[in-house]
This record gives sequence, C-alpha cells and structure tokens, in this order.
Amino acid sequence: MSAARWAGPAALAAGIGVVIAAPYVLPSYVVSLLTLTFIAGLLAGSVNLLAGQAGLVSIGHAGIAAAGAYGVAWATVHGLGLPAALGVAAAVTLAVSVVYALTTMRTSGIVFLMITLALGITVFGLALKLPSVTGGQNGLTGIRRPGLVEEWWTFYFFSAAVYGLCLLALAALSRSPFGLMLRGVRESQSRMTSLGYSVPAVKFAAVLASGAFAGCAGVLLAWNSEFLSPSAASFPRSALAVVMVIVGGTGTLLGPLVGAGIVVAAEYWLSSYLERWPTALGVVLILVVLYAPRGIVGGLHELLAQRSPRPRKEGS
Amino acid sequence: MNPRRWKGRQPAARLLLVVLALSLAAAACAPDEDSGGGDGGGTVKLGFISPVTGFVAALGTDMRRGWEMYWQQNGGKAGDVTVQTVYEDDTGDPEVALTKARRLVEQQQVQLVAGPILANTAYAVAGYVAGRGLPTVQMTGADDLTQRKFNPLVLRVGYTSSQSNFPAGQWAYDEGHRTAVTICPDYAFGWESCGGFVSAFVKAGGTIDKQVWHPLGTQDFSTYAAQARQADPDVVFIGSAGGPDAIQFYKAWTGLGLKDRIPLVGNCCFADQVFLREVGDEALGLQSFTYWSEGRDAPLVRSFVQAYEQQHNEIPSLYAAGAYTMAQVIAEALKKTGGKIEGADFINAARQVSLSDSLYGALTFDDTNNVVGPVYLTQVDRRDDGTLWSVVEETFPEVSQFGTEGKEAFLEHPVFSREYTGQ
Repeated sequence: MSAARWAGPAALAAGIGVVIAAPYVLPSYVVSLLTLTFIAGLLAGSVNLLAGQAGLVSIGHAGIAAAGAYGVAWATVHGLGLPAALGVAAAVTLAVSVVYALTTMRTSGIVFLMITLALGITVFGLALKLPSVTGGQNGLTGIRRPGLVEEWWTFYFFSAAVYGLCLLALAALSRSPFGLMLRGVRESQSRMTSLGYSVPAVKFAAVLASGAFAGCAGVLLAWNSEFLSPSAASFPRSALAVVMVIVGGTGTLLGPLVGAGIVVAAEYWLSSYLERWPTALGVVLILVVLYAPRGIVGGLHELLAQRSPRPRKEGS
Repeated sequence: MNPRRWKGRQPAARLLLVVLALSLAAAACAPDEDSGGGDGGGTVKLGFISPVTGFVAALGTDMRRGWEMYWQQNGGKAGDVTVQTVYEDDTGDPEVALTKARRLVEQQQVQLVAGPILANTAYAVAGYVAGRGLPTVQMTGADDLTQRKFNPLVLRVGYTSSQSNFPAGQWAYDEGHRTAVTICPDYAFGWESCGGFVSAFVKAGGTIDKQVWHPLGTQDFSTYAAQARQADPDVVFIGSAGGPDAIQFYKAWTGLGLKDRIPLVGNCCFADQVFLREVGDEALGLQSFTYWSEGRDAPLVRSFVQAYEQQHNEIPSLYAAGAYTMAQVIAEALKKTGGKIEGADFINAARQVSLSDSLYGALTFDDTNNVVGPVYLTQVDRRDDGTLWSVVEETFPEVSQFGTEGKEAFLEHPVFSREYTGQ
C-alpha cells in the first residue's frame, strides 16, 4: 500500500531528475533533439486534448502552431521587445484559433478532420503568399531567443519547463468539469444537448484551449530554430503530430511526449542511417495500431492494471 | 479528500520539492559544450546536406552524386589534404535541415557544411552554421543570401535565381523583340527568375505585356498558355523550377499550337534532362539561358558527362554539376590554406579561387561571395547517339549577380517579388 503510494511521486521525481541531468551527461546535439521532443510533444499534447477528450481529430494543428511562431518571429524581426512579441504571438494564435473554432464547432468526425486539414493548408498558403510579412518561401531569418534562454542548454531547460507547466495545465483541464464536458461530447452529443449543454460552445472553447497550447509550441519552435518558413505549417507537420498522439496513446497524459520522442528519433536520428526512415515509422505505427490500439502509454496502463488487481477509479 | 491521505502524501511531496530544488541549483551552472572543428592538419571533415528523400529527392540525389564524383576523381584529396565527408538528408524541410546541420557540427564535428539546395533549407542551415563561426558553401539560388543578407561566412558556388536571366532580357531586346510575356511559378524562385528577365528587358527598352504567375505543381497549364497567346507578345519567357511543371507547361504550349507562333525562351531549369527525356523530339530547338550546358564543348564537361553517364547511366543534371563545382572550389581553397579551415579566412581564400574552366566555365567570385561567370544561350540538340541535350549557341561572359547595374545601385531596390520585378 505504502509502496504503491510512493511509486507515482518517485517516478515523477526520477523523471525530473533525468530531464535535469540530461544536458550534463549527453552531447549537445542529443540535447537539441530532446528540446525538439518537448516542443513536438507540446503540439501533440494540444492535438491530444481534442482527440483524447472530445474525440475530435485535427490534422491542421501545425497551422495554429505556425500562427504563434510567425507572430513571435515577425515581432522579433521587426524589433519589438519580448513582451510585445509574445503579445503579438498570442493575438495571432487567438485569431487563427477563433477561425478554427468557428468553422469546426458544429462538426465532428470526418468533417472536423477535413475542415482542419483545409485550414492547415490555408495557413500554409498564406505563409507562402504573404512574403512581405512571412518572408514567403525563403522564410524569416534573424529571429533571436530571449537573452536568458539564448544558450542551447538554457533553452533546453526552458522548453522542458514550459512543457512541464503545459502538462500540468492539460492534466488539470482534463480533470476539471470542462474535461468532463469534453468527454460527454465525445460519448454522446445528443445526451449533452438534452442535459442543457451547448455542444458547439463546448467545442469552441475546446479548440481555443487546444490552440493556446499549440501556440506555445509554435513560439518555442521559432525560438528553437531561430528561423521560420512555411513548412512549419505544412501538412506533414500536422500529420506527424497526429501520428505522435496515436503511437503514444490517445487520451493519455504522457502519450504525446512518448510519441514525439519516437517520431523525433525516427526523423532526426534514424534518418542519418536509414534513408527510408518514413517506412520504418510507418511500420511502427501499424504495429502499434495492431498490438496496442490504445498506444504505447495506453497499452502500458492496461498491462499495469492487469498486474495489480486493485480496482482503479475511472478517470484518474 | 480526507486529511489522513493528504498527510500520507507529504513525504512524497517533500521528495519532489528536494529534487526540484537540487535540480534548479544544478541547472544554474553550464554544462560543457561539444566544440566544432576537428584536428586539422592532414584531414578535414566536411558536412554535406542534400534532400535524398521527400519531394525534391531527385535533386538531392544528383547533388550527392556530383559531390561524390569530384572526390572520387581526385582520390578523396585536395593537394595533400585528405577530405572526409559526412552526408545528411534534409528531406526538403528546413526544420530537419537545421537539426541535421546541428548533428554535423556538434556531433560529427565537421569543419564546413556544404548544401542544401532549397532556399528555405539553405537559409536555415547557413544561418546556424555561420552563427557557430563555421564556413558554409551554398548552391541555392535565393538572391538575398549573398545580397541583402550577406554573411562573410557564406559562399555561394552558384548563380542567384535572377543572375542568369539578366542576359536573357537584354538578348530578347537585341533580337528585335519589343513586347514580352513572362510565366513563372508563384514563389520566391519564380519571382526572382522573372525579375531578372523583366528588369533587363525593360531597362533595354522593351515592354512587359503581362506577367503570369502559376502555383507550384500546376496540373493544367492551358489557361496560362492561353493568357500568353491572348497578349500576343513578341517573345515569352518561362522561368521554371523544372520537373512536372515544365513538362505540363510545354505540353499545353505545343497543344495550343504556340510552338511555331511565339518564340519561347526558358531559364536555367526549364529544359533540363528530366524534361528532355519526357518531351522528346518536340523539344528540339528550344532555347534557354543557363549556366550549365551538358553539351558545351570543353574538356572538363566532356570528361565529367562521360564519367557520370558510365556510373549512373544518365546525363548529369544542373544539380550534379553544381555540387561537383562546390567540391572543386572547396578543394582549391583547401590547397591555398594548406588544409586549414578557419571561419571567414577560409571563405576569403575560397573567394580568391578563380577557375579558368569549371563545369560552368571561367569562374571568379565577387566581394559578396557570389559567382561571376558565364551564362549560355543554349539550344536543344540531338547527340550522336540520339540522346537530346543542350548545346551552347552563344556565350555571355562574366555575368554578375547585380546584372549590369553596380552593386550599390542594385542593392537599393528591394529583392524581386511578385510586386516588384524591376519594371
């Protein structure tokens, strides 16, 4: 009993310890991959909020992230200070999220998926066709990280911290009454309506909340590369975020991070040795869908639940 | 929540607090960073990035082959310096390109990075590598890389997107054409390609009737070809990025019967080998302004084409020739510095390199690290064995990235865009 109580916090403490120790023992390149993992994990987390809680799969979320990224990048390149740059990023993210939310709040399933796809491509097209703002195909250069997190290792800690805070927020959100409403929408929209909830309003709020996390990921992305081009909003980026969620475990808290780790490892590490790394990633995806339909983290949960016969409370 | 349970959690919470406090203390001091730069002396380690998977895999594969061929032919050496290359694939994505550049610099500790090809990937890589104080050699076309975003650590062994089209504009006017229509893809490369032609043609005294911009990856070009026919100009300039777009456009062009009605002139990348293999005899006689002509009668070009065909069973493309030339310039610079690669000093040495005959012809560099070299008016012709290729009809020597304007005057106007093409 007491051991079980310690297991969770001990694992958490060990996790934090590993994250902190990483830059001191690992080469800087590997640390930069970990930074990327946190950023990708945050974007996947925002997709997971919609997909896991409300059952709404978005394959256009890179568009929202790119909005935040372009906001902060444009402001930095035009010499605005940090608070103003973050303000611009927040405003652009909010504007784009509102468009996403308004156009999708009355849809679900495949229609939601297609509209987010179209919106993602629209953002990509805008980034490409507004060279006076976005630098077009050539992208924006001259983005600089804020002084305090300039170094690769400080930026790593910063990304990890932002990810950690967002993770807490996501956890709190899914446990809140709002999270319950989202799950209600997923299970039965008609019942939610008959209980007096406005389903479109819930979806609207959900997309805005998810957009906020995606926007954070976008700002980190721009700072990480210190460069930004339309491919940040491209379809493959959005699709990979969904792959991360599915591989890691839809609806689980840490699933998106695990999925992000696998995708980042395939894209940046495996690709140095194997030209056909997307094939390898595809095989992993198929294996996960076949043998662990709830994703890696979801599958582990199931395994642990089988091992310990102790009944678990639903939703905790 | 019952109070007993909360009390029971306290040790765990305390443990967390302690870990957090310890880690914050630890995070305050900087870890050691892997430094770039190898052992110097007899061996240098170079990084080479090109997209060998993804939507531009064909270009990246050709680049890698060209690069490999140079070092193969020279025994992997520049003078007495042994050259080692670490290859990376950027998939045509700037985020990937940047991370691969990081791997090359921080993990593989290369001393110089060459490539990649797409403008956005090149900007991302050049920005990072130069930011680390290491030299980088590029072959991408993006004008501003050596103009408004000049960086002393970046050398372009190649032509800007507009550079080879300045002579095209002047030539078209000299041929007696007074009105022109331009057709270019609607993104930076297209704007800059058409900008080169338009600015020179207008400066010479010609008039642009219409500028047609088509999206990249257009399937049906008949509306665009019809727009050109409607304007009925003396000449049509097409600034294509090659590939399917060029083939589809030419099919629409000949389909509308415009081939013998309106003279058509292409840019560097319009009538490339992929195009010629697909279009066949319909392409005979097609004129282009380019810097790579596989049928140019020069010893180096002949031997390169022959060796390349033997190994890969196809005529080398612009991208293979470009990477080969990058390797050649780097090798010449290494001979000058005795194998030392030290930041801007190396780029300065490379800028002093002048090749009396490279694959592109006689090359020198200007003081913003870009090629000054010949541009050829080429024509599609049949080789003895029946293969189609481009042969030189006329040579325009020593073309600069600033056209006929001086550097200062040129840099005063903005970079070419859809809104500004130098009219």
